[in-house]
Amino acid sequence: MALSGLDIYKLLPKTNCRQCGLATCLAFAMQLARKSLPIEKCPFISAESRRILEEQALPPIRPVNIGYGDKQFEIGNETVIFRHEEKFRNPAAIGFIIEDSLNDEAIKKRLEEIEEMRFTRVGQELNLNLIGLRQNKDGERFLKALETVTSSTGMPLMLMSGDLSVLEKAAQACRQRNPLLYAAKEDNYAAAGAIAKKLNLPLVVMAQDLEKLSRISGELEKEGIKQIVLDTGAKPPAEKIWDLTQIRRQALKKKNRALGFPALAIAENEDPFREALEAGDYLAKYAGIILVKNLRKEEALSILTLRQNLYTDPQKPLQVEPKIYSVGKTDTSSPVLITTNFSLSYYTVLGEVEGSKIPAHILSVDTQGMSVLTAWAAEKFNAETISRALNENRLKELSDGKNIIIPGYVAMISGELQERSGFKITVGPKEASGIPAFLKNLMRVP
Amino acid sequence: MRKFKIIFRPDNLTVEAEEGKTVLDAAVSAGIDINSSCGGEGTCGKCKVRVLKGAPDILTSGLISPRERKNKVFPACLTVIRGDLEIEVPENSRAAFDAFTAEEPSGIMPETKEGEFKRSPLFASPKGSVFNFGFSFDIGTTTVAGQLTDLNTGKILGTKISGNRQAAFGSDIITRIVYAEKPGGLKKLNRAVLESMGRIIESLAEENKIPLKEIHGILCSGNTTMIHLLLKIDPAWIRRQPQLSVPSFPTLTAKKAGIKINPAGILKCIPGVSGYIGGDTVSGVLAAGFYREEPLCMLIDIGTNGEIVLGSREYLAACAASAGPAFEGSGLSCGMRAVSGAIQKVEIDSKTFKSAYLTVSGDPARGICGSGYIDLLSEMLQRGIIDKNGKISAEGKHIRSTDNGKEFIVVSGEETRAGQDIVVSETDIENLKRSKGAVYSACAVLARHLSLDLSAVSRIFISGGFGSRLDIEKAVRIGLLPDLPREKFIFLGNSSLSGCRKILLSQDALKEAFSIASRITYFDLASDPGYMEEYGRALFFPHTDLDKFPTVKF
Repeated sequence: MALSGLDIYKLLPKTNCRQCGLATCLAFAMQLARKSLPIEKCPFISAESRRILEEQALPPIRPVNIGYGDKQFEIGNETVIFRHEEKFRNPAAIGFIIEDSLNDEAIKKRLEEIEEMRFTRVGQELNLNLIGLRQNKDGERFLKALETVTSSTGMPLMLMSGDLSVLEKAAQACRQRNPLLYAAKEDNYAAAGAIAKKLNLPLVVMAQDLEKLSRISGELEKEGIKQIVLDTGAKPPAEKIWDLTQIRRQALKKKNRALGFPALAIAENEDPFREALEAGDYLAKYAGIILVKNLRKEEALSILTLRQNLYTDPQKPLQVEPKIYSVGKTDTSSPVLITTNFSLSYYTVLGEVEGSKIPAHILSVDTQGMSVLTAWAAEKFNAETISRALNENRLKELSDGKNIIIPGYVAMISGELQERSGFKITVGPKEASGIPAFLKNLMRVP
Repeated sequence: MRKFKIIFRPDNLTVEAEEGKTVLDAAVSAGIDINSSCGGEGTCGKCKVRVLKGAPDILTSGLISPRERKNKVFPACLTVIRGDLEIEVPENSRAAFDAFTAEEPSGIMPETKEGEFKRSPLFASPKGSVFNFGFSFDIGTTTVAGQLTDLNTGKILGTKISGNRQAAFGSDIITRIVYAEKPGGLKKLNRAVLESMGRIIESLAEENKIPLKEIHGILCSGNTTMIHLLLKIDPAWIRRQPQLSVPSFPTLTAKKAGIKINPAGILKCIPGVSGYIGGDTVSGVLAAGFYREEPLCMLIDIGTNGEIVLGSREYLAACAASAGPAFEGSGLSCGMRAVSGAIQKVEIDSKTFKSAYLTVSGDPARGICGSGYIDLLSEMLQRGIIDKNGKISAEGKHIRSTDNGKEFIVVSGEETRAGQDIVVSETDIENLKRSKGAVYSACAVLARHLSLDLSAVSRIFISGGFGSRLDIEKAVRIGLLPDLPREKFIFLGNSSLSGCRKILLSQDALKEAFSIASRITYFDLASDPGYMEEYGRALFFPHTDLDKFPTVKF
């Protein structure tokens, strides 16, 4: 558990001297807890408190970087067990295993198929992150296959070889790409660690049980290897989920630093549907890297969508697309109700408009998901932004402009909005619940 | 600009008004107090008047029903003058800003420990003058409370509570700030609050037969906006960036401030913490006294702008929740302050749904005050008249449907002074639900910020203008206050005024107030992404998470 603001406050001088730029020591402590200010801002902190806080400031799960250039990704650095506690930070990397037993043409074709598995969803690019090349034959074949892979794709790589001398050669060959090395095991971890350290590359530590795993990773960390990914090997999904959950819990709740690294899981099943199911399980339960083998494009879409949803920040407000929505059989004489694009505001207005049975347009203005008064106070829902939205949505073509209604809470902008937009503006009720009666009265005026 | 004659009935007052002004403007210049909780923006529909003669322009609004249109009943702020008019202002549209609250809130103040603060009054009388009197004031968004004290003996000579006349220009802080930005707005608001204070000063001075020149000082505590308006400082920077951080205020002579006491007397204000945590909170903390004790305590000030302080002598953290004026009886269809005729206690018969009620001073019922609404909500839930969402779900002769949803009839017209039914509508309940949700969720979020559980709080001080008493049990049942052992709650009444009096009587207490103000850490709920969620979850009676209210069963 991270120290709370209050725990940190107890370590501060409590003088409210304001040298840190904040009004009180408590306010500073809260910022420290959130890691938004450095400890150095406090000139009077004791050496002991400083030591405790600095130790505390280390992330409980270390970040690990793999790949290079614009395809590089970071995993780890997670701080919560449940997403709603704050958010999940670094989306899990999803990659494909390619066997070196395929011939070069087949490898190229497979890579093309994998590159094809990209989608755009609610404005975001969804794509795969990693290619794991696995050795099945002799070292020479592996190196040749690696050459084929590196010449056909810029995707980050994971080199999977049980033969350390082959692994080292392969790592040397593509060192600039910052590949992930797979794997250090009980019988070779010192040597594997030495390679990772020499080449300064990230390394997977593999052991079937957590005790062995943490012993090895602990030893390697002492050797100065900080870029570690944990793997407990191939297991039935239930056991694998248990392992992944324990690793996360140990790191966050017990501050077990030897398990304070992102974890890896391989979902490998002849049935692509089962494989997708397993990958989904590991996504939900804490894997930082998930490798698959047989997914088709359609399953990949499900998995990437699931990842996108899991890794959105639940604390950011839900938004609807800012545009004009028409409810019922509207024509140019239908009233136009203006609201924000905060989904709760929009859907509340929508419900009442539907209930009124009067066809109407609803213009949702882009307020970055803020509600009416909040957006107004932040200058995001004012005469300027609303009249811009009226223009951009070509309201003149949709409506005769007789009944353009703004929420009662922003009645104060009606005059300015009228001038700026050139439309006649009617001030509506403060509450959405007043909309049905308001619309009925309005439309009954001769 | 052409001018026209406007006659107001039944007052028989006549004023001249320019073409294009509204009837509301004309009423204000005629000195007629009209309800206008939105500040004349055409949204609250409280300022309805009847046009007896003449043909004004009526601005477009769906607030006006066809029936009203036929009867020529329009909101005064939407009625634009185009010729001579004769206007009737019905009783229901009139505001009673100046009525004094009949009873004093019966809060229990923590015993002032002997020698807590050395007596050294803030204001000294000039040489040669024997008597020395001073006032402490709590200036709230909705109510103004003043207390006359003999500074030589420390004795309280009387307390009066009235409405804040600024309410004519809008019922909440933001509406006031917006109004102050209009041309002449700040001046009007300033004059309004000075009038409210002046009436209290004069009335208490007269009752105690004290000449105004023997009053040598006034100490004010109030939210930051109110103090800005009192000192005629532009409050725009409370809302806009960069927000001011530590508002400490200039001291003025009474003459300069425009207050009628000894002209050389002093007007002083208690320092605040931020734009939304004012001197009223600082003096409330001083009065409650937990800032120098070990146990973790909470102060909940339930006003138009609610403030919550959590802490002990170790630390003090505060946040502000825009609760709205519902619990002060404003903005509701039959809401009123706790003045004579306000329903303050209600029980509903489980079979007939008939309400038995008590009013302030025992006068015929005119409306409902904050404590009355808390009782009503709790009773309506208990009797199954409303569901947990606040919708009226029962049927019977006390329930009827209107264009704006259902309403529950508390008192039928035959028993009331104005001959009109006193009701609680679904919109009122929605309004109260949001108010209570804002207060509760602010408490919850503040505790969560400090990684504390509300159950760790050992005492909870409640202050606010509900009327004479607050039924803690019922306030918990509707989800306004957290469900904690009832003996932890202490109702303070007006803690801001109590603290203000302590400071009025002691220089040491003033120093303490400055120290408290500098120790309070302010948390801005608006910038807390979790607040909206917490708030949404509190929009239920008592709460969406019933585990948080284990003792509440309906």
